[in-house]
Amino acid sequence: MSSRQDRRDRLASRAVQVGFLAALMALWYLGTAYWGVSPLLLPNPVKVWHELADILGSGEYLPDLKVTLGELAIAFAISCTSGITLGYLISRSQYAIRVFEPLLAGVYSVPIILFLPLYVLFFGLGPGSKIAIGTSISFFPIVLNTIAGFGYVDKIYVTAARSMGASDFQMFRHVLLPAALPVILTGLRIGFTVALLSILGSETIASLAGLGHRIVHLAEAMETARMFAYIAFAVAIAATLNTLTSSLERRAKRQ
Amino acid sequence: MSAAGDVAISVRNVSHQFGEPGDTFHVRALADTSLDIARGELLCLIGPSGCGKSTLLNMIGGLLVPTAGTVHVGDKAVRAPLPHEIAFVFQENALFPWCSVIENVKLGMVFQGVPKAEHEPRARRSLEAVGLKDFINHYPAQLSGGMRQRAALARALSLETGILLMDEPFGALDEQTRMILGEDLSVLLSRTEKTIVFVTHSLGEAVFLADRVAVFSARPGTIKEIISVDEPHPRNPSFVTTEKFSQLRNRLYGLLHDEIRKAVEQSAMAGPQS
Amino acid sequence: MSATASVRKTFLRHPALARLCVIAALFLLWEIAARWWVDPIFLSPPSRVVSELGELFETNGIPAALRITFWELAVAFAISVAIGLVVGLAVGLSRFSNRSFMPIILLLYGTPQVTILPLFILMFGIGPASKIAFGVSHGVFPIVVTIVAGVQNIKPILMVAARSMGASRWQIFRWVIFPHMIPSFFAGMRLGMTGVLLGVLLAELYVSAAGIGYFTTLFTQNFDPTRLLGLISVLAAMAIVLNEIVRRAEVHFGRWRTD
Repeated sequence: MSSRQDRRDRLASRAVQVGFLAALMALWYLGTAYWGVSPLLLPNPVKVWHELADILGSGEYLPDLKVTLGELAIAFAISCTSGITLGYLISRSQYAIRVFEPLLAGVYSVPIILFLPLYVLFFGLGPGSKIAIGTSISFFPIVLNTIAGFGYVDKIYVTAARSMGASDFQMFRHVLLPAALPVILTGLRIGFTVALLSILGSETIASLAGLGHRIVHLAEAMETARMFAYIAFAVAIAATLNTLTSSLERRAKRQ
Repeated sequence: MSAAGDVAISVRNVSHQFGEPGDTFHVRALADTSLDIARGELLCLIGPSGCGKSTLLNMIGGLLVPTAGTVHVGDKAVRAPLPHEIAFVFQENALFPWCSVIENVKLGMVFQGVPKAEHEPRARRSLEAVGLKDFINHYPAQLSGGMRQRAALARALSLETGILLMDEPFGALDEQTRMILGEDLSVLLSRTEKTIVFVTHSLGEAVFLADRVAVFSARPGTIKEIISVDEPHPRNPSFVTTEKFSQLRNRLYGLLHDEIRKAVEQSAMAGPQS
Repeated sequence: MSATASVRKTFLRHPALARLCVIAALFLLWEIAARWWVDPIFLSPPSRVVSELGELFETNGIPAALRITFWELAVAFAISVAIGLVVGLAVGLSRFSNRSFMPIILLLYGTPQVTILPLFILMFGIGPASKIAFGVSHGVFPIVVTIVAGVQNIKPILMVAARSMGASRWQIFRWVIFPHMIPSFFAGMRLGMTGVLLGVLLAELYVSAAGIGYFTTLFTQNFDPTRLLGLISVLAAMAIVLNEIVRRAEVHFGRWRTD
């Protein structure tokens, strides 16, 4: 289709999107303000906004945010180092890949969140169990992607480098690492995202602190408006972290 | 020079442009072109890249409506596909990968509306004619490029149309496979009475297969000259070694060489296109 | 050939054998650690977990909880597939719908749904409805996204070829678009099953007043690792079986795909 038609179409779809979201917001407002939807189920959006402003202004969110981000940082650090190390070691042998990769993929296919109660048994309701579950779940995409990255480097590059006399270290530094990096970075991004999700999830299920816990606490206290505000806050934090990791990944890949 | 026999396809003052002047994507694909294709002849369209030969083929087949001019098949104006009169063989793999070879051929007949009872016999006949009798239950992914194009040809043949349009059917194949397929095609087509329009890049292929060769100029292309190849069908493989073949091929080369250079310069000026 | 060399050769030819040995070694490690190294209130050896599975099933309420969980998984999956198929086709087949709605769908797909789990419970109660709803909420998105991709990825030449043979719009859908999209559909179902498992289990673990969540909380608070591990194992086995079913279906129906 011609570019003029194309532009018209794009504007039209944009209009549909905006219209759809606007209609949703309108329904939300009308529902709570005029149609008698229970404020315990769906709070007034204006009230949510005020609660959010209050939370942000007073800094009340800080301790919970610190807990969650702290758990995330430690969990990711552990899964990163262990995942990349183990992944590299396994990738050194085609046989090891054939033995371990299906095993790791198989374990990953089980919802590892099932182990949360066990970790709570071990570590209690504190940050320990959250870090444990975050590490457990984010370990797998990292190790699998590292194996994929190092293990499937096109043979022709290795052959060419060897024919030019590359040493083992040179091979790693100048051939294997650059070739594997894009895949590994993707694995790191996925691992990070998954770690955050599992930590938030475990805070929801069994915790004494953290953003997930705060949301549960407010739900149980029936303070729905404030809970909505915290949900919006948590989603915003997650979205920001996701965008950050995605752009980091893209920038690193471009080099 | 026009060929004997009545006219199967009549192209009158056809030209085509994509987009409008002023659009970011505006291309004059084909300049004013007229052509008469006789019933039962094999006409080759040859020319530099971008000269509009594939565009013309698509217009003859009703896949594209020209921005100016008309195409007639018999006394019918062509503005949409005519599956009962015209069948296509495309360059890329247009076989449906989820169907086996024979299922692909049968599916074509489903689309055209052939009665169910005829599907199996017709499919087997055309697959045998192209030499794929032992591969009818194979899937396209299991076949070589040459065999896939044979299957595509079988699908087109089974539709039993009067006209066959082939858009660089051997373009993606290596030289040796092309040679074999070209020889087999000549034998096969000599047994039918189809009118065939065949687009190619290869000079040798054009001279070997065609009754007439229409040479295109660079974009926006039009027919520069039509050369006749007066040689009975089926063409003997040794035709390629004759003096006559060389002379015709050299004529084509002379007509095309400058046009090809012009086309390369055009695309260099246009810059890299993703 | 010496004994060690022939053993080595057997392993090399059958990596599956080596895998089994790795799994066996891990179980052995678990057994040893639980018996001698770790305090028994924290960890139970696999031998005890297995031998006391019977007791686990006799615990009042466990079989019912397991049955309900399985039922929730099945229903959530079925609903996800139904909704996913309809929405996926609706969005994928129309370029306009695709452009309008895909960004919204992708946005929803990317949000951390776990934060609204308490909200789901508030809205749907502590019964199976909320678990099913949460499961559907996780399972429907990968199905929609993969179906849209399957429909959009079709090579244009295939549509052109069908059109040139006189196919009507319905015929093109039935014979070209639909079969082309089937492998994507099954891949989407595999991801959808993973999502449904996650959603339903998360919801179940959260609600500690009834169902699986009640028992995990109970066993944790009572420091009963034997029954806790037993319960986790049964649930893990359920997940593995369900995943395997969808995976096999994908392999079987995606057969023409070479990529």
